Amino acid sequence: MSESQAARIRSGDALTAYLLLLPFLLTYVVFLVFPFLKGVWISFYDWDLLKVAFNPDAKEFVGFENYVRMFWGKGMEWSALGRPLVQLGAIVALIGVFFAWRMKKISNQLFAGTVIALVLGYFFFGWAPGEGGRWYNRRFWPVVGNTLLFVALTVPAVTAVSLVLAATLNRETRAMAVFRTIFFLSQVLSVTVVTLIWQIMFSPRQGMLANITTAFGGTPIAWLTDQGFAMAAIVITTLWWSIGIAMILFLAGLQNISKEIYEAAHLDNAGPIATFWYITIPNMKRTITLVLVLQIIFHFQIFGQPHLMTGGGPNDQTQVLVRYIYQTAFRDSDLGRASAMAVFLFIIMAGFSALQFFISRGDEE
Amino acid sequence: MNRAYYYLCTGLAIPAFLWMVPILWMLSLSFQPNDLLAVTTSNTALGLIPLPFTLDNYLSLFSFGQTHFWFLNSAIVAGSMTIAVLVLSTTAGYAFARLNFPGKRALLVFCLLGLMVPEQAIFIPLYTMFADFGWHNSYHALIIPRVAVPIGVFLMMQFFKGIPGEIEEAARVDGVSRLKIFWYIMLPLARPAMMTLAILTFLYAWNDYLWPLVSAQRPTNFTITVGLASLQSNFAQSEGLGRIMASGVIASLPVVILFLVFQRYVVQAVALGGSKG
Repeated sequence: MSESQAARIRSGDALTAYLLLLPFLLTYVVFLVFPFLKGVWISFYDWDLLKVAFNPDAKEFVGFENYVRMFWGKGMEWSALGRPLVQLGAIVALIGVFFAWRMKKISNQLFAGTVIALVLGYFFFGWAPGEGGRWYNRRFWPVVGNTLLFVALTVPAVTAVSLVLAATLNRETRAMAVFRTIFFLSQVLSVTVVTLIWQIMFSPRQGMLANITTAFGGTPIAWLTDQGFAMAAIVITTLWWSIGIAMILFLAGLQNISKEIYEAAHLDNAGPIATFWYITIPNMKRTITLVLVLQIIFHFQIFGQPHLMTGGGPNDQTQVLVRYIYQTAFRDSDLGRASAMAVFLFIIMAGFSALQFFISRGDEE
Repeated sequence: MNRAYYYLCTGLAIPAFLWMVPILWMLSLSFQPNDLLAVTTSNTALGLIPLPFTLDNYLSLFSFGQTHFWFLNSAIVAGSMTIAVLVLSTTAGYAFARLNFPGKRALLVFCLLGLMVPEQAIFIPLYTMFADFGWHNSYHALIIPRVAVPIGVFLMMQFFKGIPGEIEEAARVDGVSRLKIFWYIMLPLARPAMMTLAILTFLYAWNDYLWPLVSAQRPTNFTITVGLASLQSNFAQSEGLGRIMASGVIASLPVVILFLVFQRYVVQAVALGGSKG
C-alpha cells in the first residue's frame, strides 16, 4: 500500500467515524450536556415555573442568591465546639486515622482523603446561626441529613448481607443457582411495585407484619407514620429491593480469588466463618470499596421509596434531597432554588463518580 | 462435605423463602376477592394461600380502568428506547474502538464525563426544554431524553476493542468499506454484547419512574410505573386491594420473565458495568 493510499484510507476513516458518532453526539449534547448547563444557568435566576411558562421574561438574575438561601443563614457564627458531639467525633476520628496511618494499616491516599474530609467536616459543623439568627432555609440541611442517614443505614446493611450471601452462594451447583436467582429477583421489580408491596406489608391494619404481631397478642406498629419507624421501614424496603446487584458484583469479585487459598485454609481446618473473615474479606477489599462507592452514588439519589410510602413524613423525617428538589420545582414552582439544589446534588455525585473511576482504574493496573 | 452441603441448602431454604414472601403475598392477594380483603388480608396461612380463589381482579383489569393503556405505553416506550440505545451505542462504540480520527481522545473523555451526571440533576431543565417544545404527554418525550447513554457506548466500545484486528484487516485489504465492515462483520459478532445492553436498557426503561412522573401528566400517557403509583395514593378505597395487587403483578411480569429467561446476560451486564463503569 503506497503512502497516499494509506492517507486516503485514514481520512476516509475519519469521515466514517464522524458519521457513526453523529447520532450519539447529537442526542448527547442536546439532551444531556445542554440540559446540564441550562440547569446551572437556571440556578442563578429567580425562576417561577408557572410565570415563566406564560411569559419567558418573568425571570430575574439573582447571582448566587439561590445558593446562599440554601446553604446559609442570618447571623451565622462559628465556634470551635458548636456541635460538640459531631466536632469531637471528627477530632477523635482524625487521631484514630493518624495512628492507623502510622501503623501502616491504611494507604497514603486513603489517609489524605480522610484527613481532608474530617478537617472540612470539623470546620463546616462549627457554623450555626447565632443569637437571634436563623437559617434562610430551615429544611435544607435536615433534608441532607436525612439523606445521609438513609445512606449510612442502607449501604452497610446491603453490603454486609450481599457479601455474606455471595460468599455462601459461590458454588456451581443447581441449588445455589436457584438461591442466587431468588435473592436477585426483587431487584428487577420497579420502585412502584416494591413500594406497593411493602406499603401493604407495613400497614398497621392490613399488613402482614401487623397480622403476625396481632397473632402473638401484640399491638401492631404503624411503621410508616411513626417517627421512630418510618426511616427504618424505608431502609428495610430498600435492603430487600437492592441486594441483587451488590451480590452479583461480589460474586464476580470472588472469582478472582484463587481456589488454592481456600483449599489451604480447608487443610488447616479453618471453619467457614474464619475463612470468610481471614480470606474472603481481605482479598475482596477493592471490590468492597467499589461496591460501597457505587451504592453511595445510587442510594444518595433515593426518591421513589419515601415519595410513595411516607410522602416524606412523618414530620419531614424521611424527606430526602431528590424529593425536596422535585417538590421545590413542581409543587412550589421555584425552579431557581430547585436547580441550585440539583447542582449541589451533582457536585456530590460527581465527587463519588470520580472516586469510583480511580478505584476501578486501579483494578486494571 | 456432602452432608455439610445438604445442611447448607436446608439452612438457606428458610431465608430464601422469607425473601420471597413479599412477592408471594402480592401474588396471593391478587387472586383473592376484594370484599374479603377489605375485611382481612390473612384469611388462609397469613394470606399466603389464595383461598377463596378468584380471577376477577385480572379480568377486571381489561374491562375498566387504564392499566392496559399504561402497559401498552410502557411497552412502546421501553421497546423504542432499547432500539435507539442500541443504534446509538453500537455506532459510537465502534467508532471509538476501531477507527482513528482527529480529536478522538478529547471526544471520548467528553462522552465519558456524562457518566457523572445523574438524571436527578437534569430533570428540571429537561422539563423546561420539553415544555418549550410543547412535547410533554407524548411518547417521544418519554423516549428521547434517555437514548444517549454514555455507559452503553462504553460497554460497546470495550466489546469492539476485544475483537481481534485481523478480521477487519483482511476485509480492508479486499477493499471493503468501514461502514460495510461495521454492518456485515462487526454487528453480527457483537450480538452477545448488544443482547446484554438491550436487556439492561429494557429493564431500566420499564422501571423508570422520575422522568415519566414529571413528563406524563395526563393519565392516558402514564407508563405502568407511574400509573401504578397513582393507584397507590387511593389505596384499597376505590380500586380494591386485590385489583391493585393484580396490576402490580402485571406490571412486573415482563421484567421478571425477561430476567428469568436471560439471567445470564443480566448477571454479565451487572458485573461488567459495575467493575468498569
